[in-house]
Amino acid sequence: MAPRRGTTRRRFLQSAALAAAGLGLPKAFAAETPDLKLKKPIKIGCQTILSGPLGGYGEFMRKGTVLAVEEINKAGGIGGSPIEVNFRDEELKVDVGVKNARYFVQDWGADFLIGIDSSAVALAVGEIMPSLDRILVVTHGATEKFNEDLVFKRHNRHCFRVCVPVYQDGIASAMVAKDLPVKRWATISPDYEYGHTSWKMFRAYLKKLKPEVEFVGESFAKFGTVDFSSHITKVMGANPEGIFSTEWGGEAVAMVKQARLFKVFEQTKAVMIGMGAAMDVLQGLGPDYPDGTWASGRYYFGYPDTPENKRFNDAFRKRWDGPPSYPSETSYTAIHAIKKAVEKAKTLDVPKVIEAMEGLELDRPAGKCVIRKEDHQAVYAVPWGQIKHDPKFPMPTLANLKVFPTDEYYRKPPFAPVEG
Amino acid sequence: MLFQGLVGLSEAMYLWLVAAGLSLIFGVMRVLNFAHGSLYMLGAYFAWVAFRVSGSFVVALLVGPALVAAVGWVIEFGFLRRVYSAPEAFQLLLTFAFVLMLDDVVKLAFGPVYQSPPTPAALSGAVVIGHSILPTYHLFILGVGTLVGLGLWLFLEKTSFGLVIRATAADREMARALGVRSSRLFTWVFVLGAWLAGLGGALSMPVRAISPGMGEFIIIEAFVVVVLGGLGSLRGAFVGALLIGLLHAYGLLFMPVFELALGYMAMAAVLIVRPWGLFGVREG
Repeated sequence: MAPRRGTTRRRFLQSAALAAAGLGLPKAFAAETPDLKLKKPIKIGCQTILSGPLGGYGEFMRKGTVLAVEEINKAGGIGGSPIEVNFRDEELKVDVGVKNARYFVQDWGADFLIGIDSSAVALAVGEIMPSLDRILVVTHGATEKFNEDLVFKRHNRHCFRVCVPVYQDGIASAMVAKDLPVKRWATISPDYEYGHTSWKMFRAYLKKLKPEVEFVGESFAKFGTVDFSSHITKVMGANPEGIFSTEWGGEAVAMVKQARLFKVFEQTKAVMIGMGAAMDVLQGLGPDYPDGTWASGRYYFGYPDTPENKRFNDAFRKRWDGPPSYPSETSYTAIHAIKKAVEKAKTLDVPKVIEAMEGLELDRPAGKCVIRKEDHQAVYAVPWGQIKHDPKFPMPTLANLKVFPTDEYYRKPPFAPVEG
Repeated sequence: MLFQGLVGLSEAMYLWLVAAGLSLIFGVMRVLNFAHGSLYMLGAYFAWVAFRVSGSFVVALLVGPALVAAVGWVIEFGFLRRVYSAPEAFQLLLTFAFVLMLDDVVKLAFGPVYQSPPTPAALSGAVVIGHSILPTYHLFILGVGTLVGLGLWLFLEKTSFGLVIRATAADREMARALGVRSSRLFTWVFVLGAWLAGLGGALSMPVRAISPGMGEFIIIEAFVVVVLGGLGSLRGAFVGALLIGLLHAYGLLFMPVFELALGYMAMAAVLIVRPWGLFGVREG
C-alpha cells in the first residue's frame, strides 16, 4: 500500500545541485584535501524509511546525510572528488531493501551504501554486499546478528555499522534497571527481529545482574500498530512493576499516549523506552511525555559536552532549523567515516578501503569512537536518562544521564550465545 | 478479561467509522474508495489544526470532519464524477492517486514529523476496578461510535433521503427510472462517507500519533471489515468492525502468535462460505 517512491524529481535535483555545488568550488577551498585523482563524483546511496507512520524518522537520517555531504563538498570533497548522494525509501521491507541496494550499485553506480532502519533489511542487504562488492555502512538497524554473525562469524567484510547495536537497548538498559526498585518486568515491543532480540538480551543480562527479577508479561505489536490499547491491557493484567519497550518513531508516540490513558505511569515504578530519546519521539509527545520515563537512543543531542558535538548541533540547527535526532548523527558519521577511510586508503579499491575502515578512529559528535576490526562495529557510549520538562527547551529533554563504559556493555568477540 | 473485550471494542470504533463510509459509498455508488484512509488522515490533521487555533477539543471534533466532508465534495464533484462510466479499474486508479497525492500534500503542509496534541484533561481519567483499567477516552469513543451507528440507522430507515439512498443501493437503474437524481445523491453520499472517515480521524487525533501515511494502515483493515460484513451493508460494517476488534484483543491474549492472521482468516472463511459477506446481499 505504501506509496512507492524512489528518487523523486525534487530529491534528484537536490542531489544533482549538491554535486554541482561541489564541482563548482574554487580550488582554494580544497586546500586541506589532497587531490587523490579518484573518480568524480563519488556516489553514496542512502536508504531509509521515508513514508508511512515512521517516515518522520527517516527524514532525520536524510537531513544528517545532506548536512555531511554539503560540508564535505564545500571543503573539497573526498580526496578532491565531490560526493553525490541519492535517497530511496526502504519501507522496512526486505525485498524493497535488497532491490534498492541492487539499483544503487548496478544502475546508479553507487560506490558506497549507507542507511537502513530495519534489522531484517540490514541482514538481507548485508548478505548481498560481497557479491555487489561495495561497502555498506549501517546507520540504524541494530540487531547483534549483523556484527556478531554476519561479520564476525561468517567473515562478511563488506558490512560496517556506525550506530550502537542492541547492546544499548538490551544490556545498558539492564544496567539501569538493576538499580530500579522493580522486580516484575513486562514488555510491549515491536513484533520483529529488533523487538524480540532486545527483550531477550534485557532478560538475560538483567537476570545475571539481579537474579530476583521476574519477567511476567510480553506483548509484541506488528509494524504499523496505531492502537496499543489491547497490548497495554494484556500486559498490565500481569501486574508488572516495570515496563520495558523498544517501540520507536510514531509507534512509540502512540504507545506512550495510550499508556498514559491506562495510568501505566502511575501503576508501575518505571517505564524504559530504548528509542525514546529520538528527536521525533521527544517532539511528537511534547507535554504528554511523562517525567521520569527512562529513554535512550543511538545518540542524544545533549551528550557529550565536546566541541565536536557543539559544532554538529550548531551546524544542524542552522541548516535545518531544529536539533538533530540520532539517525542524523549516525548518517552524518557514516559519510565522514567513508571520507576518512578513503583518504587513508588513497583509493576507492574496495578491499583497501575495508582495511582502512577496520580500526578507524573517529571524533564523531557522539564522542570518540573506534570501528572494531573483528566485527566492524563502531564502539561508543550513549547515555540513558530520564525525561524532564525543561522550560528552556521546546521539547522534553533527558536528565539524570547514566553513561556506562563501553567495555562493560559491548559484547566482545567471540560472542558467547545470549542465554535465556 | 471483560476489559480486554471493551478495549477491543473501542479500538473497533475507529475502524467502524471508516468502514461505514467505505461501505456506504460502495453500496450506493459502486466505487471502491481507496482514498478513504486518506480522508481519515485528513480528519486527524484538520482537527489538529482546529485544535491549535481554537484550543478546544469540541471545536476540533466539529470542524475537522466538516472540512473533510468539504474535501469529499471536491473529490466527488471535481473528479470521481467524470469516471463513473469508465471501467471500475479506472475509478480505483483515481482514488489510489488521491492516496499518493494526499499523503504528499500533508507531508508538504505539516512536515513528516508526528504531530500529537495533548489528550484533553476531561477525558484523561480512567475507570479502575482492581487491576483492570478502562480509560475515559475509550468509553467516550465507544459512546460516539454507538451514537453514530444509531444516527445512521435512524437516518437511513426513518428519513425520506435515507429511503432514496436505500432504494438506489438496492437497484440503481430502477431508482433512476423512478426519478431519483443519482448525480446529486452520489455527491451527498460521498460527502457523508468522507465525514464519517474524518470523524474517525478527528477522534484518533489526541490519542494516536498523526503522521502522513497513517491512512494506509486503517484502509486495509477497513477493507477486511467491509468484505467480512458484506460490501454495501452498514450493519455488516458495524458487526465486522466489532468482530475484528474482539478477534484482535482476545487473539493477543490467548494466541499472540496467530493474532495477525485471525482477521484475515475470518475474512477468508467468510469468503469461502458466504462470498457476499455476513450481511451482504447475494447478487445475480
